[in-house]
Amino acid sequence: MNIFGFSVPAGYEFIINLVILLIKIGIVVGITMLHVLYATYFERKVIGHMQIRLGPMRTGFHGFLQPVADGLKLFFKEDIIPAQADRTVFKIAPVIFVFAALSSLAVVPFFDGFVIANVNIALLYVLAMSSLGAYGVIMAGWASNSKYSFLGGLRSSAQVISYEVALGLSLVGVMLMAGSLNLSEIVSAQQQHWYGMFLFPQCIGYFVFMVSAFAETNRTPFDLPEAESELVAGYFVEYSGMRFALYYAGEYIGMIVMSSIAVLCYWGGWTLPPFLLKALPFLAVVPGIVWFLLKVYFHIFLYYWVRATVPRYRYDQLMGLGWKVMIPLALANIVVTSVVRYIVP
Amino acid sequence: MSIKQIAKKVFMLEILKGMALTLRMMFSPAVTRQYPEEKRPSMPGFRGLHALVRKEDGTAKCVGCGLCAAVCPSKCIAVYTSEGADHTKVVDRYEIEVLRCVYCAFCVEACPFGAVVLTGHYEYSDYGREPLFMTKEKLLSNWDNFMAGTKGEEYFRKFWRPLAEDYAAHEDQAVFRGKKTAVEASSEGKKALSIEGSGNAA
Repeated sequence: MNIFGFSVPAGYEFIINLVILLIKIGIVVGITMLHVLYATYFERKVIGHMQIRLGPMRTGFHGFLQPVADGLKLFFKEDIIPAQADRTVFKIAPVIFVFAALSSLAVVPFFDGFVIANVNIALLYVLAMSSLGAYGVIMAGWASNSKYSFLGGLRSSAQVISYEVALGLSLVGVMLMAGSLNLSEIVSAQQQHWYGMFLFPQCIGYFVFMVSAFAETNRTPFDLPEAESELVAGYFVEYSGMRFALYYAGEYIGMIVMSSIAVLCYWGGWTLPPFLLKALPFLAVVPGIVWFLLKVYFHIFLYYWVRATVPRYRYDQLMGLGWKVMIPLALANIVVTSVVRYIVP
Repeated sequence: MSIKQIAKKVFMLEILKGMALTLRMMFSPAVTRQYPEEKRPSMPGFRGLHALVRKEDGTAKCVGCGLCAAVCPSKCIAVYTSEGADHTKVVDRYEIEVLRCVYCAFCVEACPFGAVVLTGHYEYSDYGREPLFMTKEKLLSNWDNFMAGTKGEEYFRKFWRPLAEDYAAHEDQAVFRGKKTAVEASSEGKKALSIEGSGNAA
């Protein structure tokens, strides 16, 4: 085996691969955490400007160091555990939440060939991990021994389970079109068509996916688990300091993962549609990661944009929308896609 | 449901309209004032920090009648007077506890000479109570700092003029005509007046 011109003895290949893998993980986690930091900053800025305010302005140039200050503050804050809390579960819950969110990143290809684990069940894995994240929420709600936390946790469990169905079903259309669950293969399958994005044939699937993703990541208008006006902060009311920060980070990582999945499954990932490349050949010079990040940023902006616009749903409206609109829409999408795929292979 | 309504529901036109609005607002200038850098001038007649009006000769206009202290709802004004040379009333101390003031400006309205005013100055937070306990000297320097010159005059004319100036007395109305006529008044009325006066001063 040859790595960077050095020949590696036969027995050590495993170790070298492991080191490369760890470096990859370090890069992905590090860059994601930086994105999380500045996602909070840009959320405050974007929503501020949408509400004709300025957002953070004091820390650094135009408040650019605000997330650093926030992080430092949370890091040095006292870690309070309520006296009546279930201490073990209370401590495990945020770790599960962040673990589930971060481990979804393992199967996300950021550009051609750069993926930590190139598994064939990537989509299923992402769905499984996002459901696992709900455990972190429910356990926090239960362990806090507080009525607000408990209500938030219960709401979250019902909401995530309901929207998980719609989320999975909306992705079935993509699976049918691509014939694979591997995210890299889904991207290359999109390149086979002249339009280059599943967004166009799967617009209903994309719509259902985005709405479900909003519910899945507990963002407005579906942020009932942390409804500030009713539940103070929902399931993480009792958390403080670094554990609180973990929940916050988990939420933003969840947003980034869901945006990445949307980009990979519907927007052609790091590629551009062939018709666009034919019309503007110079765009091929730009590396794929730039397109990928731009698309992800657009989706994250969409999260902020919707948050600044749409008020929170009532709980029965949320459930009604999930079961009566989103799931039937996704099922209809599957039927239509299957029929079309059968006729036009 | 008409086709229009169905289309409205299916394409979520109302939500899209809202999204367009928020996007438009994002590119409109913010209304935020960056306070310490961008100060807001106080409006005419703003009721801020207190001041005692200084006359041209440098002394305070205040005669020590104590009406401001009497009318003050939070009782934060204290006036101490003594008899000076030639039986004149001398204001020894004039103190306002700014931290207790509610800025109702009753003292300004009550003052028959327009000697106490509220300035437009509002940035006087401090770390202790002592700097916010206003003595006569401090109050006079407040006038020099924030209301001196034409500014104070103009404000005075517009907002702090004694209200009595607006009303002309009825010709038949009994009015105070100086010492001589006061002596002629009934002794009972005189007594009552002096009791009331002493009560106000306390």
